Amino acid sequence: MAKVLEGPGMGLMKKWGIHVPNYVVVTSAEELAKLGQVNDWLKRSKLVVKAHEAMGSRFKLGLVKVGLDLDGAVSAVKEMVGRQVGSITVSQVIVSEMIPHKEEYYCAVKSVREGNEILVANCGGIEVESNWDRVKRLPVEVGQQPALEALEKVVKEAGFTGPLVKRMADFAGKLFACFDNEDAQYLEVNPVVARESDGELVALDAVTLLDADAKFRHPDWNFQFAAEFGRAYTKNELDIMAIDSKIKGSVKFIEIPGGDTAMLPAGGGASVYYSDAVVARGGKLANYAEYSGDPPDWAVEALTEKVCGLPGIKNIIVGGAIANFTDVKKTFGGIINGFRKAKADGKLKGVKIWVRRGGPREKEGLDAMRALRDEGFDIEVFDRYTPLTDIVDKALAGK
Amino acid sequence: MSILANKDTRVVIQGGQAGVNAARRMAEFCYLIKRPLNVEAFVYPPDAGKTNEIPYGSGLIAVPVYATIAEATKHHPTINTSLVYIGADRAMKAGLEALDDPHIHLVSMITEGVPEKDAKLLGAHARKLGKVFNGPSSIGIISAGACRLGVIGGAFDNLVLSKLYREGSFGVITKSGGLSNEIIWICSQFADGITTAIGIGGDAYPGTDYVTYLEMFENDPQTKAVVIVGEMGGDLEERAAEWYGAKKRRIKLIGVVSGFCQESLPKGMKFGHAGAKEGMKGEGSARSKSEALQRAGAIVPPTFGALGPAIKEVYQELLKSGQVKEVVEPASLPKLPKTVEEAMKADEVIVTPLIRTTISDDRGDEPCYDGYPASELINKGYEIPHVIGLLWDKRLISKQEAEIIKRIIMLSADHGPCVSGAYATILAACAGIGLSQAVAAGLIMIGPRFGGAVTDAGRWFKYAVDNKMSVDEFLAYMKKNVGPVPGIGHRVKSLRNPDKRVKELVAYVKSLKINTPCLDFALQVEQVTAAKKDNLILNVDGTMAAVLVDLGFPIDSLNGFFILSRTIGLIGHWVDQKRQDSRLIRLFDYLVNYAAPKRREVPPLK
Repeated sequence: MAKVLEGPGMGLMKKWGIHVPNYVVVTSAEELAKLGQVNDWLKRSKLVVKAHEAMGSRFKLGLVKVGLDLDGAVSAVKEMVGRQVGSITVSQVIVSEMIPHKEEYYCAVKSVREGNEILVANCGGIEVESNWDRVKRLPVEVGQQPALEALEKVVKEAGFTGPLVKRMADFAGKLFACFDNEDAQYLEVNPVVARESDGELVALDAVTLLDADAKFRHPDWNFQFAAEFGRAYTKNELDIMAIDSKIKGSVKFIEIPGGDTAMLPAGGGASVYYSDAVVARGGKLANYAEYSGDPPDWAVEALTEKVCGLPGIKNIIVGGAIANFTDVKKTFGGIINGFRKAKADGKLKGVKIWVRRGGPREKEGLDAMRALRDEGFDIEVFDRYTPLTDIVDKALAGK
Repeated sequence: MSILANKDTRVVIQGGQAGVNAARRMAEFCYLIKRPLNVEAFVYPPDAGKTNEIPYGSGLIAVPVYATIAEATKHHPTINTSLVYIGADRAMKAGLEALDDPHIHLVSMITEGVPEKDAKLLGAHARKLGKVFNGPSSIGIISAGACRLGVIGGAFDNLVLSKLYREGSFGVITKSGGLSNEIIWICSQFADGITTAIGIGGDAYPGTDYVTYLEMFENDPQTKAVVIVGEMGGDLEERAAEWYGAKKRRIKLIGVVSGFCQESLPKGMKFGHAGAKEGMKGEGSARSKSEALQRAGAIVPPTFGALGPAIKEVYQELLKSGQVKEVVEPASLPKLPKTVEEAMKADEVIVTPLIRTTISDDRGDEPCYDGYPASELINKGYEIPHVIGLLWDKRLISKQEAEIIKRIIMLSADHGPCVSGAYATILAACAGIGLSQAVAAGLIMIGPRFGGAVTDAGRWFKYAVDNKMSVDEFLAYMKKNVGPVPGIGHRVKSLRNPDKRVKELVAYVKSLKINTPCLDFALQVEQVTAAKKDNLILNVDGTMAAVLVDLGFPIDSLNGFFILSRTIGLIGHWVDQKRQDSRLIRLFDYLVNYAAPKRREVPPLK
């Protein structure tokens, strides 16, 4: 799943006929001031200013300001751009018009195993969060489109009446069209509001998750995907993502500040069991990492260097199940080169390395790892006869 | 018995190189269990009409490649299964093509990164047709002793170590490809091994879920217990638990779920497979899944490490109750023949080399000339003449010798467009012939009358010097036994119109005050011959030959100096014609003396 920020998310909804407030994404106060000279609505409307970054709790951090005029918005932008919050620097700000409204509603489309589900509620904002039972669902089978009657029925069930039934059904239908045609995995509009001026339903805030795997058939996706876990990707993470995007197989890397146990396991499945084992033993993960699908040795080497560069680590877990087709000797060759480079750079002091692996050319690979001991590495090497996560137990035995 | 894949499974593989690699792994398994190869055909439009060679034992089996599934099943009507190794952008089309073929009942998709929408559509389509769609992102399916689909099971040694050559009692279903092998291994170590192991893929919505396969295992009497390896995210494990708890089941269910680490990670931080995403309200967490399985009566070891002992306990109970019997292992198993390289490494064979080289070695990270790495030669200031010395005479020549060779090459690099070699190259270039062939046409001209006398000149001058002949003795010997002296005489140059190249070279070599017996002798010969006839001078071939013999180069290499240097000129002529976009040329008839008989009548054929 790939999260898309509000700006491009609203752009996609607009493309599919959903009313969204006027908005601009700016990178400086000067830019907004200039835009104000040519866009009438910026002068006429009350404005909302929000930091346009992948971060939670923007309200609490003072990164959302409402009810401003253009001058107020310009100074709010000035204040926000460049602010440092954790690992994120605010570099973009989204400025949108406030839509005067009385009622708030909720509408979402989510992917489920049997197809998709349309969710509607006649309350919105935080009210829907605490009244989840008021959300009504319309299941749509794989490959099918929702019928208008079915949409109107679920909208009525949710408590909409009068002319709003048709409007909400129409809104939900458009949101589904956007979801289906844009390969979305989750679309949520909260709140949907009825514009006082003309009664039209407008999407005020959107959560947009797209299927990154479908990018090949969406050449117009010209935006970057945002990190999904409440912070921006770090430079090291972006470096590995750049490698991952151009190789056969995969390499993955996520940093977790404050940990002491570094992870360098193979396999999307085994890597999580290794992480579980560290946590179960009372260890603190310094990162998540994974390589699989017989990646080139240079990619594994680059991943190894990142892992070795993690601050304050005491153990590195080079775990892995019995590979099907990943060449153990070749991928271990990459890890060994990474270790050597890290050591030459003065890293790995007092760090103990734990290895467990099986698969094609396992003997050669494990022998090469064992030989690192002669180069002064503190390394313990185990083969398939040692159960998968036992190296974690051994590494953290002192805890 | 087994489920999904058995001894009657016949396979078509949709895909290119990745599919061929899988077929090789499958052939290894077929060989191990002494069954014929189960891959009948490939479907890959770019290679349609060709065959893919799949090693089987020590032989090769040619498996045909078709453009469509319909063609493949028409020619191989026993095909009932397809494996999809087609890229994510074309995977859905390939999967639908296979599902829609009436012969095919199981489609397993290996492709990773298939859009979720496509995967759901494929799954729904298969269910509608009453077929099985497995994957995407599936490592494959393996039934011990019967059938392997894909690379699941790993290398040949692992197949043997994990006892996949014969049936056990445990079914395996995993999302992770790597862990499928690990569980198969654990089942063989802590119990009697597996019946069938299935990789369902780590995507959010696999085409077929645990429940469908659990139902199949429940109906397979050989399978006594099933191990499922789950992950956080989605609700597949909950559904499996629901199925297991719904009524009394024959099979024992053992399950582990990964993702407990999420509980102690910063909020919102997620990783693992695409499907490993926790829902909004804790649904789909590792804990809720484990608890659901436990509540349904499944055995849920607290950690992955406890899985082996848990499996062992189940196996011991099965033994005790007589549901399974101790396995008797076969006395011997086929061994995969080694490749020549492997056998040599193990000191098991001696191979007589086909060729022998004493000058160069390319097996490291760069070529070595007579043992010296090329880059080191460059970095230490050596030049092209030194490389010639190493490759032609296996010695590192001196700076002085290098300078002489450099001058020889520079002097003979070209001699205008009229000489045989250049003319032939130009003719070829004008006829539109490519560089290497046109240069070869020029080089073909080098022979006894043009440029090719260096070796012979060197040979006879050396013969004279070695045998301490006088000039008169030498000329008499040559007249009697050989003919004209190679290296003496020129078509246009003469005493009055001397060849400046010769004068230059001789003057330079003489200025070095080195011992040059051959050159000295050749110059003496010239004095006698030129006195007899004006153009019987020591020509450039003869001069080069004498100098090179004095430097110690082997006689057989001498023509090489002319060939090498003149190649520079020939390439120049070809490029020159190309640059000018020269037109095809032919001789004018007035340049030909037509001495053939006059036109006459052809007599009747007898």
